[in-house]
Amino acid sequence: MKLTAEPPMDESSEVVKARRLGLGFWLPTGWMILIVGVALLAPVLPLKDPTDYFIRPGERPPYPPSADHWFGTDQDARDMFSRIISGARVSLAVGFMSVAMSFIVGGAIGMVAGLVRGWFDRLASFLFLVLLSFPGLVLVILIITLIDRSVLTISVTLAIAGIAPVGRLARAATMSFAEREFVIAARTLGARNSRILFRELLPNVVIPMGALVLLGVAAAIVAEGGLAFLGLSLEKGETWGKLIRNGAGSRVLRDSPWVAFGPITVMFLTLASINYIGDYLRDFFNVRETGLGR
Amino acid sequence: MAGRGTVQLRGGEDVILRVENLVQEFPVGRHRVVHAVSDVSFDLLKGETLGIVGESGCGKSTTARALVQLPPPTSGRVVLDPDSGNEVDLTGLSGNDLRDVRPRLQMIFQDPISSLNPRRRVRDIVSEGLEIWSDGGIGTEGQERVDEVLHAVGIDPAAAASHRPHQFSGGQCQRISIARALTVDPEILICDEPVSALDVSVQAKILNLLEDMKARYDLSLIFISHDLSVVRNVTDRVVVMYLGKICEVGDADRLYEAPAHPYTRALLASAPEPARSVGVADAVLGDDIPSPTEPPSGCRFRTRCPLAIEKCATEEPQMQQLDGDHFVACHLPRV
Amino acid sequence: MTGRQAPLLSVRDLKVVFPTPIGMVHAVDGVSFDLEAGQSMGIVGESGSGKTVTAKTLMNLLPSYALVDGSVTFDGRDLRALSAERKSEKHLWGVEISMVFQDPMTSLNPVKKVGEQIAESLRYHLGETRTAARRQAGDLLEQVGIPEPGRRLDEYPHQLSGGLRQRVVIAAALACEPRILIADEPTTSLDVTVQKHILDLLDDLRAERGMSMILVTHDLGVVKGRTDEVMVMYAGRTMEEAPTEEIFSRQSHPYTEALMETIPKINSAGHTRLMPIPGQPPVTTSPPIGCPFADRCRYTTDRCVAQGPLLEALGDDHQVACHTPVGTPAAETALAANAARGHTATGLEIHHSGVPVGAVADGPAEQV
Repeated sequence: MKLTAEPPMDESSEVVKARRLGLGFWLPTGWMILIVGVALLAPVLPLKDPTDYFIRPGERPPYPPSADHWFGTDQDARDMFSRIISGARVSLAVGFMSVAMSFIVGGAIGMVAGLVRGWFDRLASFLFLVLLSFPGLVLVILIITLIDRSVLTISVTLAIAGIAPVGRLARAATMSFAEREFVIAARTLGARNSRILFRELLPNVVIPMGALVLLGVAAAIVAEGGLAFLGLSLEKGETWGKLIRNGAGSRVLRDSPWVAFGPITVMFLTLASINYIGDYLRDFFNVRETGLGR
Repeated sequence: MAGRGTVQLRGGEDVILRVENLVQEFPVGRHRVVHAVSDVSFDLLKGETLGIVGESGCGKSTTARALVQLPPPTSGRVVLDPDSGNEVDLTGLSGNDLRDVRPRLQMIFQDPISSLNPRRRVRDIVSEGLEIWSDGGIGTEGQERVDEVLHAVGIDPAAAASHRPHQFSGGQCQRISIARALTVDPEILICDEPVSALDVSVQAKILNLLEDMKARYDLSLIFISHDLSVVRNVTDRVVVMYLGKICEVGDADRLYEAPAHPYTRALLASAPEPARSVGVADAVLGDDIPSPTEPPSGCRFRTRCPLAIEKCATEEPQMQQLDGDHFVACHLPRV
Repeated sequence: MTGRQAPLLSVRDLKVVFPTPIGMVHAVDGVSFDLEAGQSMGIVGESGSGKTVTAKTLMNLLPSYALVDGSVTFDGRDLRALSAERKSEKHLWGVEISMVFQDPMTSLNPVKKVGEQIAESLRYHLGETRTAARRQAGDLLEQVGIPEPGRRLDEYPHQLSGGLRQRVVIAAALACEPRILIADEPTTSLDVTVQKHILDLLDDLRAERGMSMILVTHDLGVVKGRTDEVMVMYAGRTMEEAPTEEIFSRQSHPYTEALMETIPKINSAGHTRLMPIPGQPPVTTSPPIGCPFADRCRYTTDRCVAQGPLLEALGDDHQVACHTPVGTPAAETALAANAARGHTATGLEIHHSGVPVGAVADGPAEQV
């Protein structure tokens, strides 16, 4: 009996994969590994205390970058380098936590709505519509003025703002896959909804959602910055938004730009890296999906 | 076209599936309804291959989906083993009761790519049916069953274990779909245009495979296609559908050798290689294809029928027997 | 082909290569043919045979990264040189050579009225006035058999059935009175009862206007009784070219023969065992040195593997690229030798009856 020895497309798709992930992917990935690593390890790294005042007698801060203070100091003579890293801990935490929450909640609602349809779908769609129509900023301000301004509440608040767009994407992606024949085949075999959701739909829906995860992290980091400008970010501790705001006064900008440009540069590089990686991954997975045999 | 009536139904213990007065309607917008399938009845004998032919929009695929209750039909009955004393009416079941009988009817589809989950390995796809019906793992017995079925359809189990669907050709994907359906030991295999997306040189392999699998696993087949030559090759009995109704039903030999309905004749005459039983003139049809939201009164085929008379607009033809296993729903059948 | 005067269209040793991440794809690998004025030709092949790429080359529709070699001469003009210049010959493609595509829905603009879409090319290419173009669009719709053409002019594509849409596409392609009409699978997306009407219409229009036509299709049945000549393509090469009746009555290439045998016949008895073509087409990134069909052919000899057969005349107007054309003593000798040793030169197993193993009744399914 002659059987299929080797599927025809095997080798070629590996070649595609190898060519796809070039420098344009690894450079931003390297930056992300660096920034996340440093943020995680900050407590054990030999860094200066971000809250310490390094006042040099006879000199008025802010001090420009030097061997002692790589990114200079702020107006209170605190070390910008360690403050940026301390800010990274909060900004990245807010970014990833809020996205994780909005994807779990929005993704679950959207996927179930897209699969079961009916009244649940109508309710979910209505909820998404209300969330999208409600001015996000007002919602955020309302919540954080009513409760408190901790990392958790800010993350939850931003997560709520993210539920609707994530949920709608999850619903649309689920619906497009739920009509495919492989889902019908699973049903004729006797699969329950839960099995179809986790085995058939989730692995497919995760792909278009994956690129959005990274975009969401970037958006949350920016949103936190916006809150900082309104003076509504964390009450205690540093974030990139608060650092930038601190350096953004017109006199400070003119006389000592390093106070703002340090955090701006780091934030820009991080956001650009996240968006680049997102794009690369999306293209990469598109190839995997459409690179079909004859 | 008519087709009202159920005279074409056969009785007896050999009947494995009976479809009675099947209706499938879908709402579109306000107050508008697509009459996709309107009062269709047929049955399937054990070991038989029943062909359903018709052009796009005739309701043949909708009928196939209604048989497996995805979605359930608007009305009508789909009965397994109708005359055996322990009949199962699928349309009356829901939840776990429906799930329990699902493996008895399996389906394969036109699009070999869309039929397989692109993110799962082929072996997992083929094992899925067994996994659903087992607690935990499928065990050695299950693995052996998967190997056996993969061998039967001509896919190397080793390649299936490590590769995903996009690494196989269209014909191979169709083999994988067939294997997936066979693992749960179905009685009826519904094939919805299984070779339409394949190159002609691959078509023959899949058609031969279906014949082999039918013999090997004691299957009864429902074979849906727009291609009359393919249907001629694989079926024993043929149902011709037009705009949600049955025009003509009968033994394949009789139907191809003496087509009675003007639509059947037109189909046979329009094929790239026309059937011997019809002439060039039979292919002449109006181009005015009615919408399934507003099907014509009386006989639904009358707007394109070269023979239509006044009666066709006012009175829907009843299904009538011609001779032996040959039925037609037409006021002016060609006998 | 008379060959006395220069043909309207002449293609010589056309090669099209697409650089892709998986390597160089040789889509068309040395195709030559002539098309006389008023003649119709069918190009038949399965997916990957290069038939559509050939048509697109004639229509100047290849993507810019495609590497093209060989010559295409239309009415004494070198089309490849013209396509390189681009601007100067904007009134050639769409005017003198025009094309009908497979899917009428994608070749029509969904937000433009049917009449405007036809009139557009008349105004652009021929400089007609708005009213004259509209009048002529109406005439064209009538010629392609659309009832109530006046009313249809103001309808949008989605208001028409698939068959009517394809008629509109044909009307638009005919607007500027092309000398060659290329129809690429013009009826594949249509129902059988409509398919026949469209094919008959194309043939009638061709005869009426003295136009040449190239009908590209995967379906041998479509060209039967319709075209003057048929060219059978496989793996980017021409396997056989002959007058249409001869392709059906006396096919000479083993591939053409296998293709005919593999198709289910409407007039044969039910449950007739079909004869599949064993194996798979060659990988387009590395075309074989020998005959591309050698791996799947029951006549294959050592020579077929070592040396690719060239297209050679087998009789009047009949050309075949095969060392052992079906029906010749060479084929009988090769088949007898293969049947005797149980396999071909490429190792394809052969029954003593001369039928490839796997095509016979009780054999297990072999790979697709």
